[in-house]
Amino acid sequence: MRGRRLAILGLLGPFTALFAATIALPIGFALYESVTAIERSGPLGRGTTSTVFVGLEHYATALSDPAFTASLWRVVLFALVQVPVMIVLATTLALMLDAASARGVKFFRSVYFLPYGIPGVIASLLWGFLYTPGLSPVLDVASWFGLNIDFLGASSILWSIANIVTWQFAGYNMLVIVAQLKSIDGDLFEAAEIDGASAWQIITRIKLPLIRPAIVLTTVFTIIGTIQLFGEPLILRPLTGSITSTYTPNLAAYNEAFANNNYNLAAAESVLLALVACVFSFAFLKLVNRSGK
Amino acid sequence: MKNPRTPSAASRVLLTAGLAVAAVYFLFPVYWLVIAATKSTGDLFGSSGLSLSNPQLLTNIRNVFEYNGSIFFRWVGNSLLYSGVGALVATVVSIAAGYCLAKFTFRGRDALFNIFLAGVMIPGTALALPLFLLMSEIGLVNTYWAVLLPSVISPFGAYLGRIYASAAVPDSLLEAARLDGAGEFRIFFTIVLRLMTPAAVTVFLFQFIGIWNNYFLPLVMLSDPDRYPLTLGLVSWQSVSDRHPELYQMTIGGALLSSVPLMIAIVSLQRFWRAGLTEGSVKG
Amino acid sequence: MRRRTFIALAAGALTSACAAAPGARPGQTVLRFWSWVPGIDQAVNLWNSQNRDTYVDLELTPAGSSGTYSKMYAAVRGGRGAPDVAQVEYQELPGFALENGLIELGPLGMDQHRDQFVDWQISQSSFGERIYAVPQASGPMALYYRNDIFGSLGLDVPRTWEDYRAAAEAVRADGRYIATFPPGNSAWFAALSWQAGARWFGLDGDVWTVGINSEQTLRVAEYWDELRSQDLISMQPDFSNSWYADLQSGRIVTWPSAQWGGPILSGNAPGTSGNWRAAQLPQWNPDNPASANWGGSATAVLKGSEHPREAAEFAIWLNSDPESIDLLIAGGYGWPSVKDALDGTALDTSEEFFGGQNVNRDVFAPADETIGTDWLWSPTTNATYLHLNDGFAGVVAGGSSFVDVVQQTHRQTVEDLRAKGLTVREAS
Repeated sequence: MRGRRLAILGLLGPFTALFAATIALPIGFALYESVTAIERSGPLGRGTTSTVFVGLEHYATALSDPAFTASLWRVVLFALVQVPVMIVLATTLALMLDAASARGVKFFRSVYFLPYGIPGVIASLLWGFLYTPGLSPVLDVASWFGLNIDFLGASSILWSIANIVTWQFAGYNMLVIVAQLKSIDGDLFEAAEIDGASAWQIITRIKLPLIRPAIVLTTVFTIIGTIQLFGEPLILRPLTGSITSTYTPNLAAYNEAFANNNYNLAAAESVLLALVACVFSFAFLKLVNRSGK
Repeated sequence: MKNPRTPSAASRVLLTAGLAVAAVYFLFPVYWLVIAATKSTGDLFGSSGLSLSNPQLLTNIRNVFEYNGSIFFRWVGNSLLYSGVGALVATVVSIAAGYCLAKFTFRGRDALFNIFLAGVMIPGTALALPLFLLMSEIGLVNTYWAVLLPSVISPFGAYLGRIYASAAVPDSLLEAARLDGAGEFRIFFTIVLRLMTPAAVTVFLFQFIGIWNNYFLPLVMLSDPDRYPLTLGLVSWQSVSDRHPELYQMTIGGALLSSVPLMIAIVSLQRFWRAGLTEGSVKG
Repeated sequence: MRRRTFIALAAGALTSACAAAPGARPGQTVLRFWSWVPGIDQAVNLWNSQNRDTYVDLELTPAGSSGTYSKMYAAVRGGRGAPDVAQVEYQELPGFALENGLIELGPLGMDQHRDQFVDWQISQSSFGERIYAVPQASGPMALYYRNDIFGSLGLDVPRTWEDYRAAAEAVRADGRYIATFPPGNSAWFAALSWQAGARWFGLDGDVWTVGINSEQTLRVAEYWDELRSQDLISMQPDFSNSWYADLQSGRIVTWPSAQWGGPILSGNAPGTSGNWRAAQLPQWNPDNPASANWGGSATAVLKGSEHPREAAEFAIWLNSDPESIDLLIAGGYGWPSVKDALDGTALDTSEEFFGGQNVNRDVFAPADETIGTDWLWSPTTNATYLHLNDGFAGVVAGGSSFVDVVQQTHRQTVEDLRAKGLTVREAS
């Protein structure tokens, strides 16, 4: 049928074309850039350049650069801590809201969701002030109790960043889970109640299994989000001596491209980052699917 | 509430206390922002961050509005343009694609869907640099297009659209419309889009926030402040404030002014997030 | 409304990368100018008020290595969006030259004006006898110190770095730090190495030599390592709020810094006015006193400018017109690059912040005479700075030393230059 074919083309065509232009093509171009290099000749200021094929050299360079591999491990470590914390917090908040009496629930839910409306870099500016000694009321209050917190120190800065990310997205993830909780049939609880199940049993036996899909979804998005950490460390960098130019893979690629003008190596680093994110997300989905069967 | 068990008074107090503690955590930075936005530069550094000190909110707001030829409004406009247009186009395009993938069978459909799904997994920032290289190749760097074009695609939207369409668009309705002689595009724009509104709103909001919050892409693409979105603009103020201390106050004022409307919007629209996302995750 | 705006924007975006500047008259050529130098807005206003054919649209940017160079490189590479005129520090000029990002200014007027500028800064701005930038200012270094605190502790102004160490101990015993070693500001470390007689880079024909791990640099690194390991210095970022707070409160009592540091000090620690003085930098060899240059920059015309002639004209005027120079001095832009900078300019005044001391005549003019002028920068200085910063951040985290960082950076810099396709030799 011609009409059908035309319909498919019209409905799917724009998306496919845009997908190709803004996702597939850049990846292809990055792959091309990542296997080439610039060769120079001529005097400074008036030189000429040519492009040569170098194979996987840039990948080898990136992977043998301890700073870059350290940045990969850093975001992996970050994700391993951040993702569970975020998901547990979001799930707990959702379950608490679900259990609380009707009054105030809407207010609390809105409050938790509020930070989602603040862009990450603005949230980082904000928390940056709250982390700065001499400016931060948090540190003032802590010092009344004799506590000496250093949010910007070498050992704490990664978790100070984790706090910003958690603050911003926990409420959003909570909302997704709340939505799923709402869709559970209330009869289930009643039946469980009659069978003598405790509130805790209802949570672990009924609610948690039923909101699993929402938890899976938020987990995948959190993984993808944490691995691309960029704005937060960039904004906090002037405040602390502890954030290097290669603190996260994205920062490393950005500096490689625009501070060192090595776009080819930067392209290789971007490709590696995308690969890591894909591997993690797919591995997680696979794990979930296997244990779900 | 659906929960039939009435919790004891003690556990209810405990629960509310827990919720309140969490609320303090989420609200505190916002509270600080509001207080800080009322202060002069001197008081910002010289007085406690917890309480008011010579509030001059209106002066500060006027400074933000007037600074550098009212460039703040330009940034607001740019952000609205990038987010509004980007999200609108992304929504229509990806909902159409999702519907098509759900309701039409053709060769290569599942392969295509899987490719799109892989697109969901690719971190946006990993694409920013490749996009920059590409855009500089075709001479679009530092134009509105450089930020707008990559914003009009939402693989997640197509994914959600497909799931939602299979659940919410009955085949019988489509068949009936076809029998009435309606063309496919008319069916899409008059029937399908209406049925898929909850999913479309979710995709729109999701994309809008995504673009609004984006920093890496405009950072690498734009060098002319007249084209900056708010995020980039405010950070540019902050990053020169070590030499121009009056800009600390501007950054804080600008952050407040740009966050408040969005926070209000977010909170009042939260049911749309729930509506679409449940569908997405239930079947996911 | 939205639709119309969008179409207008789209059309604008496609036709021209130049947005009209709000203050320009119709018919005026508009030059975009990026700079972060305090007071430069005054000089630009002066130019614009003189009703010329060219209007300069100044955009205040973060300091170069805080992101502005990245933006300029991106714009040069992207082929659009670069400003016509840009602030470029001396250490970054070779990097832009390597990317062919600079327009040669000799034929555009600099050949006639070169004699007005200090020779060594002309050579910092030239590659192969061709001038690519207009020298603007340098940063002769000295030591700012808290006279009142030194007095109350009975300390003399340190003449050597050994004296400085002794002062650091005395100051520490009083609960203060002598200074911070800014882990994120390797330009400061480079300047102190310069003072010690190190020469990090050399160019012999087209062979680059790298001598970062020279004896002199290592001596500086070792010195600060010792102060650090005895907890005699703080390790906080400079130009940060916490650092300003410490300068204000007297927790930090000296700052080895450039002439342009004075206004930053007075602007951010106003409560300490009258208590600061300046003296010559502590010396390694007092018989052969040396200062160094920290910062210092030029005005360049970037590739892609559609108005290179007008841009060059403005850049030359900005840095040689006496009225402009006076405005820049008032803003605290540094030590003018024109010859005979001190005489008859706004520099020659005593300042209340320094207790009535005429720091420019007393301290910085002589310091300027003792700067080793054969220092050279490499085309990958930005990367070298990042290596140093990253290394210093590692020192803050613990487990390594400044000396390690210098060795490591030396190796990485050799690699960086090779990766650019340049021929490199390690200085022996």
